Amino acid sequence: MEESNTGLGDNNSEKPLENQEKTEANSKPIAQIQEKKEFPKEIKQEKPKEIKPRSKFLSSQWYDKNYKILLFISIAITILVIAQLVFMASTTGDIMKKDVSLTGGTVITVYTQQQYDLDEFSQSLTTQLQGSVSIKRIEDFSTGKQVGLVIESQADPSNLKTAIQDKIGFELTDQNSSTETMSAGLSKSFYKELITALIIAFAFMGLVVFIIFKKPIPSLAVIQAGVTDTFGALAIANIFGFHISTGGIAAMLMLIGYSVDTDIMLTTKVLKRRDGTVNSRIKSASKTGVTMTAASFLAVVVAYFLVNVAVLKEMFFIIAAGLFLDLFTTWLGNAAILKWYCKKKNIQ
Amino acid sequence: MAKLTWKIWFVIILVILFALVIINPQAFTKGLLIKDVTLNTSIAMAGIQKGEILQEINGKTILKLTDYYDFVNSINLEPINIIVTTENGTFHYNSTTLDFLADGNRTTEVYGNAFNAGLEPGMILKSINNYSLDNYSFDSIKQNLEPKLKVELKTNKHSYIFLTSQDLGLTLAEIPKTRITTGLDLQGGARAIVRPVEPLSDQEFDSLLSTVRYRLNVYGITDVSIRKAKDISGSTYMVVELAGATPRQLQDLVAKQGKFEAKIGNQTVFVGGHNDITFVCRNDASCAYIRQCDAIQDGYACTFNFGVHLSADAAKRHANITSTLSENITQSGKYLNESLDLYLDDKLVDTLMISSDLKGEEATEISISGSGTGKTKEDAYNAALENMKKLQTVLITGSLPVKLEVVKLDVISPLLGKQFMRSIYIAAIGAFIAVFVVIYVRYRKFSFFIPVAMTLFAEVFLILGISALIKWNMDLASIAGIIAAIGTGVDDQVVMLDESRSRKQFSLKERIKGAFFMIMAAFATAFVSLIPLLWAGAGLLRGFAITTMIGISIGVFITRPAFGDVLKLIIKD
Repeated sequence: MEESNTGLGDNNSEKPLENQEKTEANSKPIAQIQEKKEFPKEIKQEKPKEIKPRSKFLSSQWYDKNYKILLFISIAITILVIAQLVFMASTTGDIMKKDVSLTGGTVITVYTQQQYDLDEFSQSLTTQLQGSVSIKRIEDFSTGKQVGLVIESQADPSNLKTAIQDKIGFELTDQNSSTETMSAGLSKSFYKELITALIIAFAFMGLVVFIIFKKPIPSLAVIQAGVTDTFGALAIANIFGFHISTGGIAAMLMLIGYSVDTDIMLTTKVLKRRDGTVNSRIKSASKTGVTMTAASFLAVVVAYFLVNVAVLKEMFFIIAAGLFLDLFTTWLGNAAILKWYCKKKNIQ
Repeated sequence: MAKLTWKIWFVIILVILFALVIINPQAFTKGLLIKDVTLNTSIAMAGIQKGEILQEINGKTILKLTDYYDFVNSINLEPINIIVTTENGTFHYNSTTLDFLADGNRTTEVYGNAFNAGLEPGMILKSINNYSLDNYSFDSIKQNLEPKLKVELKTNKHSYIFLTSQDLGLTLAEIPKTRITTGLDLQGGARAIVRPVEPLSDQEFDSLLSTVRYRLNVYGITDVSIRKAKDISGSTYMVVELAGATPRQLQDLVAKQGKFEAKIGNQTVFVGGHNDITFVCRNDASCAYIRQCDAIQDGYACTFNFGVHLSADAAKRHANITSTLSENITQSGKYLNESLDLYLDDKLVDTLMISSDLKGEEATEISISGSGTGKTKEDAYNAALENMKKLQTVLITGSLPVKLEVVKLDVISPLLGKQFMRSIYIAAIGAFIAVFVVIYVRYRKFSFFIPVAMTLFAEVFLILGISALIKWNMDLASIAGIIAAIGTGVDDQVVMLDESRSRKQFSLKERIKGAFFMIMAAFATAFVSLIPLLWAGAGLLRGFAITTMIGISIGVFITRPAFGDVLKLIIKD
């Protein structure tokens, strides 16, 4: 099969060993995966480099030479994420811009096909109500037609309603519109609760990861990747100007699960298995992992463009951003940390 | 051909069973579901019940809502010329119905054309279209005058024949195809989250919930869910959700304490609730009606009146307190020197003069009044009706144990929900296609691709089935949860496919076992990271958390093992 390990982690000196293991495994079909096998240490990976100096991009030799650079790229991404969040916090007082579900206020969704100049609309409401009003359009993807308008403001709900009615020229009823009002007090406590939930979720996740791998450095690498993906997704949403809602924070929680599953798969393959070399195991893990991430990423990106529900759009965006980052944190960062770890611990 | 294992059969049987659960047995009946029948209409008196399926009206088959609306619009009763003579003058108007009610010869409720013609509540009737009120009762005149339509109506259960002069009074809906119920944000309705101003014991909180439920029922709202929600920091909230139309008074009904007190001076005569008030007149024009409407500054004000019966204790208090008062003679009659003041939530809502012949008497019947204002006469009239209904409700149900604050109020239109559902379906199909493209591009084999697709569909099906089984409302958050679960499902299947095809030195069973180790580890981390969401933020995201947890559990415990067995069938060592 084209996916067999030996072909991927091409390493000539390992070949006889693998064959040896294969015959062993064949004679004893129920091989123990976790069983530690001490391989002869005198066979060094650097050896074939002198014979075969090619260092093709993404080949095993290239990886041996450059994995620290990849790790550095991943660290740089983490630093950028932190920088964005610090910048956000220093300019707005918090690591995200929150929407009314987290700050309190009113969202009125009007079901109308009538077209308006949204800039002018929000301008006139803003001056009238003396508070910022934001207006978004909801469109039906298949027809491209406007389905309705979403109007957000911190103004008094009944004043907002009156102002909208004056502007659009018809009465808002509970058939043609939806009104969602959230008190500032409740939204503040919601925000606190959700952040607490996020922190507890990270703690729980970390605990489970420690139980699975028991070793501090690989476990911390998994946790670090999860945290970077989750907050990195937030940083990207910040850059794109999203206002985060309760749904957005739920999406961040969803990301914890999404992002660590590739890391868990990678760490399991590298640390708990002994077939092939560390490089070949990383490579085969990355092939699986990139397929996983690509499937999820493409699915949420497609859904992002097709759905017209604001909160789902926001959730899909955050998940897509997190999955994108996951490619870097897992396959540049976490893989390199494991590689380094294996080298230090003499794991082959 | 290899044999299907029990794990595969288990999934197949579950999917079939859940299909039976999800599909509404009535889904294949033609017609429209009767969701509600308005009280006191001819159709209600004919005995039609909600839950029946309307199939035919006057020989015309009813399949869609538009069929019914076409029928309603085709009702073309010829309006008649109505002449109402009263002591205050004569009123002419054209209408198919009289548009007013009367108690004896005094008008009580006036609406529609009669209202526009200037007729007012409280006028004394002399005749209607030459039928003198001296010779005929109001009801018999109404019966005789109003043009009627004969309606023959067939449902899946019975046929009904009746005469009607008004709109039928049916609330209809298309028969739901499935038993999956959608949440508030998709089907429309209202949600209020209410916080008690001071902390309550569990017992007090339960009494709060039951009082609010009673209140809403008395007000006429039955399709309501009221529950307690706790968050991580220990605050307790009351979450009230109702489907369909939202009464404008919802906020007041769920959050106004509704402490009603009738006082003379600073002595309380009676309070709201069944201890002091044994009967409240409602829905009866003879003792509950709009008395009059007057022009005031910036609009109109209408006054309502309704009678209540007091308990023996309250009547005795009335006697004791009034016996000490003195009489005052005014232009309009003899009254006691202090009035009966009505307070609602410590606000004075009305002051009633007490007739001097009630002094020291055990009054058991008291007439309560109040008012409503509006920009137009009609607005004022409706406001007075609503206020009357609210006050009646509060008097019947008594007050809530504490002051409450509405912290979140959502009123969602059903139309938007439909739009949302449409786009969610499209997005789901798009996402599936995206996943399949990736899987196909990577493996290029239909023998891999088909089990992956079937497993994903089985998973969605099982999640929806469980939600129908436990009557879980599918809201936007739950849909996000399904997406999360499906995403994890795809990831797991990719791991299984790759693991089962590599490491050929191990047996296939061992390879799949190895894949399961990773899947279980990923499942454990995802599952525990959702636990805090069960409580955070008054449980608003609980739908998301629970659906995801159910979804990923179904995945690892039911469908994934079956997928593993399918792999054993299609992958040859």
